Amino acid sequence: MPKYDIVVVGAGNAGLSAALQCRLAGKKTLLIEQHNVPGGAATSFVRGRFEIEPSLHELCDFGPADNPGDVRNILDAYGVKLDWYECKDCFRIVSKYSDGSPMDVTMPSGIEAFIDKMEEYVPGSREKTQQLFDLFQEVLDGIAYITASKGHADSKVLQAKYPNMLRTGAYSTKKVFKALKLPQKCQDILSTYWSYLGVDMEHLAFIHYAAMVHKYVSRSAYIPAHTSHQLSTAMVERFRELGGEIWFNCRAEEFLFEGDRLCGLRTNLGVIDCDYCLANINPDIIYGKMMPKELIPEREKKLSKARGRIMGGRMYTAYFCLDATPEELGIEDYSIFLSGTADSAEEYRNIQGGMKTNDYTIFLCYNIANPGFSAPGTCVCSFTTFGAPDEWAALEQKDYFKFKNEGAKKMLRILKEKTGIDLSGHIEEMEVASPLTFARFLGVPEGSVYGYETRDWDGMMARMMMLGADYPIKGLRPIGAAGPRGDGYSATIICGQLMAANALKDLKEWEGGKA
Amino acid sequence: MSELNVKVGLIGKFDMLKFKNMAKTREKAIQAAPADEISGVFPVNEKARALHPDFLELTIDSIIARNNAKTFVLKRADGKPLPYFRAGQYISLKLPIDGSLVTRSYSLCSSPKEALSGTYAITVRANPGGFVADRLLSEKKQGDTVIASGPQGFFYYEDLRDAKQVIGLAGGSGITPFLSMARAICDGIEDFTLTLLYGSRTEEDILFRGELDEIARVCPKFKVVHVLSDEEKEGFEQGFITAELIRKYAPEGEAYSVFLCGPEAMYRFLKPEIAELGLPERLFRRKLIDVTKTPWACEGYPKDLEEGASFEITVKQGPQTWTIPASADEPVLVALERAGIKAPSRCRAGECGWCRSRLIEGTVFIPPENEMRRWADVHYGYIHPCCSFPTSDLVLEIPGEFY
Repeated sequence: MPKYDIVVVGAGNAGLSAALQCRLAGKKTLLIEQHNVPGGAATSFVRGRFEIEPSLHELCDFGPADNPGDVRNILDAYGVKLDWYECKDCFRIVSKYSDGSPMDVTMPSGIEAFIDKMEEYVPGSREKTQQLFDLFQEVLDGIAYITASKGHADSKVLQAKYPNMLRTGAYSTKKVFKALKLPQKCQDILSTYWSYLGVDMEHLAFIHYAAMVHKYVSRSAYIPAHTSHQLSTAMVERFRELGGEIWFNCRAEEFLFEGDRLCGLRTNLGVIDCDYCLANINPDIIYGKMMPKELIPEREKKLSKARGRIMGGRMYTAYFCLDATPEELGIEDYSIFLSGTADSAEEYRNIQGGMKTNDYTIFLCYNIANPGFSAPGTCVCSFTTFGAPDEWAALEQKDYFKFKNEGAKKMLRILKEKTGIDLSGHIEEMEVASPLTFARFLGVPEGSVYGYETRDWDGMMARMMMLGADYPIKGLRPIGAAGPRGDGYSATIICGQLMAANALKDLKEWEGGKA
Repeated sequence: MSELNVKVGLIGKFDMLKFKNMAKTREKAIQAAPADEISGVFPVNEKARALHPDFLELTIDSIIARNNAKTFVLKRADGKPLPYFRAGQYISLKLPIDGSLVTRSYSLCSSPKEALSGTYAITVRANPGGFVADRLLSEKKQGDTVIASGPQGFFYYEDLRDAKQVIGLAGGSGITPFLSMARAICDGIEDFTLTLLYGSRTEEDILFRGELDEIARVCPKFKVVHVLSDEEKEGFEQGFITAELIRKYAPEGEAYSVFLCGPEAMYRFLKPEIAELGLPERLFRRKLIDVTKTPWACEGYPKDLEEGASFEITVKQGPQTWTIPASADEPVLVALERAGIKAPSRCRAGECGWCRSRLIEGTVFIPPENEMRRWADVHYGYIHPCCSFPTSDLVLEIPGEFY
């Protein structure tokens, strides 16, 4: 068995990104993946004549070629090439405003168009919405400054250039909306994206929310031409082209240490020696199951306890392949957020209450963004919501398949009631992925693809500020959605790059120490 | 940078300090928590693992002999309950035979209910000249253990998709998934009406005759019609299953789905018959058939290739490399199995993708019926060795295995 400089465990978005970054730096890099396909959730599956996208709704922070976002820049730097389709509108939401009146709005992408449309729906909101977008811009610039300063941001610069970011950044999104005196209907519409981060507006830091929404609105969103399996496979092929090695169906079982420093790992394909591991695995699983207890620092145990194992985004998704076109079915929108209320805190509680109270779902029709997504005369749609972990854990096996389908039926019903779109009688293939399915394929706690909730004190910026303290194991860094950037394709691709850069720095320092 | 036209008012005291103190606030929250041992166990994940194990170690609990077949009743070697499944699914056995390591998939013929009390049943029919079935029938005895996958496959009833009335078309040992469905209906697990047209050569060849008739007697939602091809007898339909026969038993004026499970020849015969029914695709489902034994007869097979041509495959798996012989007449997977390589595979029909491997060099032929790869896999040169026939020397990278 050869020795590697770096072994990346898990070929999800973060792992693929990290592996590419390590290989570009010339390190002898092995990427191992417990499944027989790459991508983790960024994969696809085939049913009958359809290939189905399991998880990607719309890639944030990618942008058009002439206005690239961070993720496009990163993929370009890696040399990863594939075709993309733009998801033109931001979203349609069918819900209820806080005052109980019905809400059915479709928001376009592009800041100006977005603000114009908001004015149409909420007359008199223009000035306030414009102010909010200006604030978003300041926040983004501020984050860019803080990131570039690598933990040595100058308070004077921050105060002079980004005062509004400083004033608002540590507060919840809801508090900032109130402070800005945004009209309530505006707030309701702007809450739509909360579920992409899995934390309601009362607990989601404004800085995190601002960064995401600004990116979606200003740069639009994209999907790969042939599901996210195309993205993952393109990343794998580029990694190989650069001289990286990847082993599929290879699962890390235990991390091995020499003293307090990692020296390798045990897998189903044997023991692999290496200097460093970037593990796309939730820290609770690493610490709980995969390394010697005595090497786990006190602070890491406290951190785990403080987080209380509260995982965001325990996915529940129902996929439907239909033998009719979107036009025939009356589908015009790529994504429709369907919810009982625009009050995200209430919706969050409804989701926690389980399938009975959960009336939240995001409906997608991939063919709207990509007309060639499936065979002519057909289309593919999905519904996404979140599961309540207790409910799924308590379920008896004999009830599992029925319960899984009850959720899908409920979502079909919600769609029909709220939009008139009726998919029944056209379902040629279908599949339902519950939190158990995600737990099974990804190994993630509770089937969560979001990692620990980026809630209150444990928000994205707070995590970014503490990168130095949070990764104390020598030679082993967890990466992925549980990391500093939180969940999502773009966040985890960025996280992989960031963590790989940190690992490379560590290795350099140790080499220097040796010499 | 343009001047910001917003001045956010004070939200609370010391807003800016609050920002600066985000790290401190976080550290405080962390330090306030107790340093308990971390548990890597999550109940949802335990549940998922119980339903979908990497593999199962099964013990043969009993064997029931029938005509030219045997039913093996299997229990888990560790005594735990078996994963629940959907009637119509199969398990894939991993069998060491004479230095080869082969997989064969068998539909579960027991009711899902029995999994909860710890048993599965599969039925193996004699297959003279075959590599596996006859060895299983002659050698496996009570108490032997076998390695199996968890329940797999998509040949099952789905109430959101399928019509409430299902016409099942079964041939030979293709009866097994339907038997499980009939039992599931009888047990109240599934809720649909199944009318089964079951083709056998002669009355004597009918597998599970007694069981099927008994379920039909007690369960109004299940009906079985025996169709004999080589015998004319009262009380039986005679000939082959045809569009006409399906129409005869199909509900009038009501939508129905057609489910098909049988040997390759039956599928080929029925293809135009089913087309004649004019059903939309969504109302026709078939269990996948094994990959063809005569690839050269398939459309698109390279004309200049000699039957039985032999090739060499360089196989990589993790840190290991082998060079093995292969025949143009057999799927790449068979070459891997003959070499005793622990290569992943399950369905052997191109559907499950478990054997997905990277073709680094060389060319293969994939029968159009078994082409079920993802777009990017086709584009980037990944193949399913279970239904790819070598047409040159190959360099292949295969995934690992877990058992």
